[in-house]
Amino acid sequence: MAKVLVVDDEPNIVLSLEFLMQQAGFEVVTAEDGESALTRVAEAPPDLVLLDISLPGISGFDVLERLRANPTLTRLPIIMLTAHGREVEREKGLALGADDYITKPFSTQALVDKVKTLLDESAA
Amino acid sequence: MSPPVGPPRRQHLIGAWLLLSGLSLFGGAFLALWLESRLAPAGAERIALWGGCLVGAGLLFLLGLLLERRLFAPLRHLQVQIARMVASPDARDDYRPEGWLSGLGPDLLRLREHWRQDRSQLAGAHAAGARGAARIRQELEALLQVLDTPLLLCDRHRRLLLFNQAAEALFSEHPGFGLGKRLEGLFDLASLSEALDRLPADGTSRELLVPLKDRWLHGCLRRVPNSDHETLITLTDSTAAWHCEMDTRVRLTECLTAVRRHGAGLSSAAEALGHLHSSTHATNRATNRATGHKHDQETQLPAAPSIPSHEALPAASLGSREAPLSSRLADIIDEESQGLGQAIDQLGKSLEALQRQGERLAPLWSNDLWQALNDHLAGSSLVLTPIGMPAWFKADAPALLVMLEALTSRLGELAEVRHLDAEVCLGNRRVYLDLIWLGTPMTQHQLAGWKALRLDALPLSPRIEDLLHQHDSDLWSLQDPDGRHARLRCPLPAVERVGAPLTRPSPRPEFHDFGIADLPPPEAELAACPLAQLEVVAFDTETTGLALRQDDRVISIGACRIVNGRLLADDTFDVRVDPGRPIPPASTAIHGLTDSDVLGAPPLSQALPRFRDYLGDAVILAHNAAFDLLALQSPGAEVALNMPVLDTLLLSRALDPSLDGHDLDSLADRYALSFAEGTRHTALGDARVTAELWLAMRTRLEARGVQTLADALALQSSAFDHQDASA
Repeated sequence: MAKVLVVDDEPNIVLSLEFLMQQAGFEVVTAEDGESALTRVAEAPPDLVLLDISLPGISGFDVLERLRANPTLTRLPIIMLTAHGREVEREKGLALGADDYITKPFSTQALVDKVKTLLDESAA
Repeated sequence: MSPPVGPPRRQHLIGAWLLLSGLSLFGGAFLALWLESRLAPAGAERIALWGGCLVGAGLLFLLGLLLERRLFAPLRHLQVQIARMVASPDARDDYRPEGWLSGLGPDLLRLREHWRQDRSQLAGAHAAGARGAARIRQELEALLQVLDTPLLLCDRHRRLLLFNQAAEALFSEHPGFGLGKRLEGLFDLASLSEALDRLPADGTSRELLVPLKDRWLHGCLRRVPNSDHETLITLTDSTAAWHCEMDTRVRLTECLTAVRRHGAGLSSAAEALGHLHSSTHATNRATNRATGHKHDQETQLPAAPSIPSHEALPAASLGSREAPLSSRLADIIDEESQGLGQAIDQLGKSLEALQRQGERLAPLWSNDLWQALNDHLAGSSLVLTPIGMPAWFKADAPALLVMLEALTSRLGELAEVRHLDAEVCLGNRRVYLDLIWLGTPMTQHQLAGWKALRLDALPLSPRIEDLLHQHDSDLWSLQDPDGRHARLRCPLPAVERVGAPLTRPSPRPEFHDFGIADLPPPEAELAACPLAQLEVVAFDTETTGLALRQDDRVISIGACRIVNGRLLADDTFDVRVDPGRPIPPASTAIHGLTDSDVLGAPPLSQALPRFRDYLGDAVILAHNAAFDLLALQSPGAEVALNMPVLDTLLLSRALDPSLDGHDLDSLADRYALSFAEGTRHTALGDARVTAELWLAMRTRLEARGVQTLADALALQSSAFDHQDASA
């Protein structure tokens, strides 16, 4: 079973996402800020990361950059989640190495589809 | 042009007359002596013989005297009279022709009266017309002057023809501001030249951001229809009031972010609820219906392991009684949250579009920005080199400039570099401003710290992050593919109409293909300039004495300017100069300046460059220019005054070679000009009279076919040659 790390500081969204991802058949690990996300990844690298940009402490971009700086994680699929919805943020996220970018509010079905596609690609 | 013809010079005439009289006298005396030796007459015969021989000489002498008194002197007076009538027709000190010309008196009187009558009638008609025009002009001037918008009008050569009070206030300290001065002196901008070259003829405007010291002006350029390529420029100070709008935008953006977050929570929860519903429903049905379906139950349950049974059970029991209503409500929540999501997306797009089209963001030419940034960085050791293709983009230039200044100086410190490259890359609907250095990229963590910095140089001290928001922008750092360079990237909205690189060769207007090389050089253009349109600076110097080749020096330079045939009242140059030696009392007796008057004054080496700046593109005018120019070429002052020089002394000699008295006082008297009280022998006073003398002479020059600067210089040099030949 593929393991997905959900990083978001909104407990309401984390709860819903966790349930829905489990429904879709994934193993879900959560983190509520950037530091704990990095710790989770260090403990046991997940197969995919759903990463919110606005996090307390270090930002999602910061986490993304540090993950990508680790040579063993360069192929780890990372999907950015944001409540800003600015086109320039999308560009920035992709420039810093994110694989995809989803603006809140999002359709869970679309999110699940994206996660599945990315996992298939990284497995290939 | 032939040299002017007039009566022979008085000295020549008197010389010829005395010579002839002398020759006849001696000739007569020799004849008398010879006849006496041959004939040896006596008494009355001898007296008659001498008388007969000398009578010729006597007659010649008397005739000469008669001619000078009765003809030549009156002729010269008549010449002065006519010159005065032409130069200053309304001077009243008339006198009648004398001697044999006195017969001309009534005619001359009649001629003069008619001439004055015609002039006064003409002046009357002119005044009536002028009054009407003046009234309209006054109204227009009043309108212009009360207009708050700074306004400039320039001609096809980009010389300033008109400005209003608001513009004057804006440029009050600027040395490049003044009538007749070129726009390039005011704004040294490639983009301005480019925009002026491409201005449409139909009066459609072009907009441009123009830096002026610490401010940015939003300029609107348009060609004045039906004019000779005149351009009207209106300016708005865009440094003020931008923060108000920015504030609103920031709040709107923050608000939208919150709405997005809550929307996401809502829709995810709704979807989760929907799933929960369908699964518990299925479970309920399964347990309710039969006992033989354990298999189904087992496949369903692991799917929702995290749902505690105490939460599932009430829903299940609820579902058992009111399943249709609760599932309908869940559907409604799901549906509404989806609708909410779509509306939020729409709102976000609108806000982004608003940001892009924000009127605070005006088109800006990248090279202008880099140039302004380098000017701002001039105090630090950091140098920015623009590379690649320049491009247009949209920005709130003053804010962007302050932000980039803060970023570059911090980047310089952090990366320990003194040299940064600046490049503009074109993206999709965006232009990237990249700062490039030798080293590794910055981390998001470092950038987050920078983004929180407040810029105190701007109103309301916004954070860098706020400015980035205002530009719908962000910052990130990348490693170049070469692995050695890193860049800091700041995306900005592209200007739609010039999205393609501006340097792309465009179809050239015809005048670019023909002609630039065929155009007359600027010097030739000046030479062909009509005298009436010539910009002239009249100047005069006062010195410690006349021995400039020894140790006499300049103590004062005064100058005034003639533009378009008018002596400008307050556009003057009046500077005292420290001669570096005591002023002799004999010299003080002339100009009144003492050692204490020049105490603390700059030396010539400092005063001369200022004078050169004042001259600008004007032609020099002086009375006996050779002296004043020599005075300015004293040792230690290496400033070239290489423009054409007009000399009223030489011009006057060329105009009236048969008259005596070409000094400034005589000419002022001849042309009925007066010195303002106490200004004779002050540099500025003399310069002013020289300027007025030039204006009076110009009429007479034009009457003789001397129309252009080249003509005047040729005439002047003919007088110079003449003087040399006779010296």
